[in-house]
Amino acid sequence: MSIAAVKPAQGTRVLSYAGALLETMDAALADHANVFIMGQGVDDFKGIFGSTTGLAEKYGAARVFDVPLMEEGMTGVAIGASLVGDYPITTHIRADFSFLAMNQIINLASKYRYMFGGLMRCPMLIRIVVGRSWGQGAQHSQSPQATFAHYPGLTVIMPSSSQAILDMYPAIINRHPGPVISIEHRLLYNLDFTVAPSEKRVPLTSYVARKGSDVTVVATSVMVLEALRAAQYVEDQTGISAEVIDLNSISHPDWNLVTASVARTGRLVVADTSWLEYGVAAEVCRQLVMRDPGLLRQPPTMLGMAPAPCPTAKSLEDIYYPSQHETVDAILTQVKGDKHGIALPVERSMTEGYKRFRGPF
Amino acid sequence: MKDEAIYRRLFRTALLIRLVEERIIELYPSDKIQSPVHLSIGQEAVAVGVCDGLQPDDLVFATYRSHGFYIAKGGSLDAMFAELYGRKGGVSGGKAGSMHLAAPEVGLMGSSAVVASTIPHAVGAALSFKRRGASQIAVAVFGDGATEEGVYHESLNFAALMKVPVLFLCEDNGLAVHSHRPVRQSYRLAEHAASFGIASRRLEEGWDMLAIRQATLEAAARVRAGEPFVLEIVTSRYKEHVGVGEDFHFNYRSSDSVDAWKRRDPLIVDQKLAAALRPDIEREIEAAVAFAEASPAPGHAELLTDVI
Ligand SMILES: Cc1ncc(C[n+]2csc(CCOP(=O)(O)OP(=O)(O)O)c2C)c(N)n1
Ligand SMILES: [Mg+2]
Repeated sequence: MSIAAVKPAQGTRVLSYAGALLETMDAALADHANVFIMGQGVDDFKGIFGSTTGLAEKYGAARVFDVPLMEEGMTGVAIGASLVGDYPITTHIRADFSFLAMNQIINLASKYRYMFGGLMRCPMLIRIVVGRSWGQGAQHSQSPQATFAHYPGLTVIMPSSSQAILDMYPAIINRHPGPVISIEHRLLYNLDFTVAPSEKRVPLTSYVARKGSDVTVVATSVMVLEALRAAQYVEDQTGISAEVIDLNSISHPDWNLVTASVARTGRLVVADTSWLEYGVAAEVCRQLVMRDPGLLRQPPTMLGMAPAPCPTAKSLEDIYYPSQHETVDAILTQVKGDKHGIALPVERSMTEGYKRFRGPF
Repeated sequence: MKDEAIYRRLFRTALLIRLVEERIIELYPSDKIQSPVHLSIGQEAVAVGVCDGLQPDDLVFATYRSHGFYIAKGGSLDAMFAELYGRKGGVSGGKAGSMHLAAPEVGLMGSSAVVASTIPHAVGAALSFKRRGASQIAVAVFGDGATEEGVYHESLNFAALMKVPVLFLCEDNGLAVHSHRPVRQSYRLAEHAASFGIASRRLEEGWDMLAIRQATLEAAARVRAGEPFVLEIVTSRYKEHVGVGEDFHFNYRSSDSVDAWKRRDPLIVDQKLAAALRPDIEREIEAAVAFAEASPAPGHAELLTDVI
């Protein structure tokens, strides 16, 4: 089972998500004199969960620096620096805090190139981290891919593995023409993945994380891992073969890839990290229906957060997020109907599984 | 003598807060409290002195670091522990956890985990009080870091323009997570407030509950008469920013300033009084823990209630 479209052959190694982030941040600073990183805590000993640790010492405070609490101001400062040729990388340790910067991101950064008829550009990378589990609660758990991807001018990605980071970040930093929002997931940070040297020529797109023929599962971020685990379980138990597509590039997915897969399977599960309403799940359906309303043999199954703010209590959190149970059940139900009668895995909560999770992808 | 009685009252509440948080530290490794906790150990005197200097119907708007204010305002201990445990008997039925304690029945009007976000709520409540001719005041509680956010400046400006009865209360522990104040701030709070025509006071003795109470009484009297006021209280966070451990071994700060603070901390210095009050407080805490343990967990019936 490989998470990369290109099967890692020789030259592979094991690298954590945080390690991949640190490597790409380090390489960006080494390769591009105009890159700088700013954000609350980027230069402290925790270094954004290990993704910037030691870089301030290595490259100096002019290139990697802490900022006051000033999310909107920081983002505006980044735009200004970008307009005159620097490449800023900013961080928010929770995606929720980037909401204070909405004005600069949405009213300014997303519009500058177009609004000035191409006269202005503000390429930059905004790294935001989605929190989950251990009582993150209503204000430390939001996953705003649909929000940001709604606005033309923003490029939104959700790397689901170390490989995705190695593939995408070097192609974005100082190369992508506009502002990019990378939505990282806290649960992925400590996971190890097998990675290969990047061979992707067009990394900001979607890809097949697992080939299959009976049902298509379109997933984002940590739900890609959830879908891969569920697909493996289902295959082991029943021989049903689920194809898993990592949407990866949320604002600019490969809809042809998704459509071709669903055209083959006729069955669809969407597994997203956020709410379903007006979200990724809705957009996948829109894209399919607009291409061919007859693609699906039956109504699809949608997995996402329950339609409420995130509760803190563990017992509520466990039923708030789609579990391994529900993911397996969704795949089985698509193929065999809701009376499939096949035993579901024992594990309910994904986080439990992730504590033990280690490769091989 | 009168002061002595007040001191005892303040001391008891401060000790209650400390012992509650020490109990949380003990319980934490058991994973019974699955919620990030921002402890106020070292800062209890602020919550206690301030709340004692307010009228019961004055309203407090707080932050994720609010165990102290919740208790000092008179919130139920049973409901607090049940909330930390994520149980139905919690003050918010387990939906809030440690970061969002609220007790509107005693005037704690919620706490937010987005820094500085409740400061304008206090201004808004004060605006309403003024419109209604009420004698209540509103208190915005926030840390030194929160004053960097734009909304702090907007709130001061508006409060000054509208002359609303709001007390801006800054708990200055000198830290925002691991960043020291001098690398974050190029202004002094008092001078900044003065530029809006807002009077202020900076109290260095943030361990002194009586002094904090007195400063609050004086500030609250001015606020009640219709002018906003900034009260800045220097304090000391003994534990790590979030979590139950210490963080001196990370070498981003030395233990010297905390040690100096501990030498003045009445809860540590006044051993005799602490020992006298301790058994009764511990019984209270154990009862609250037992309440939490016995309270059922919320489930499907609760997940989608109170959404709209
Ligand atoms: C808008 C926002 N930005 C960043 C954070 C992350 N954060 C949580 S607490 C904190 C420090 C706040 O410092 P201060 O206001 O002094 O309060 P203290 O924690 O010292 O009590 C930061 C940066 C946040 N919660 N909200
Ligand atoms: Mg502080």
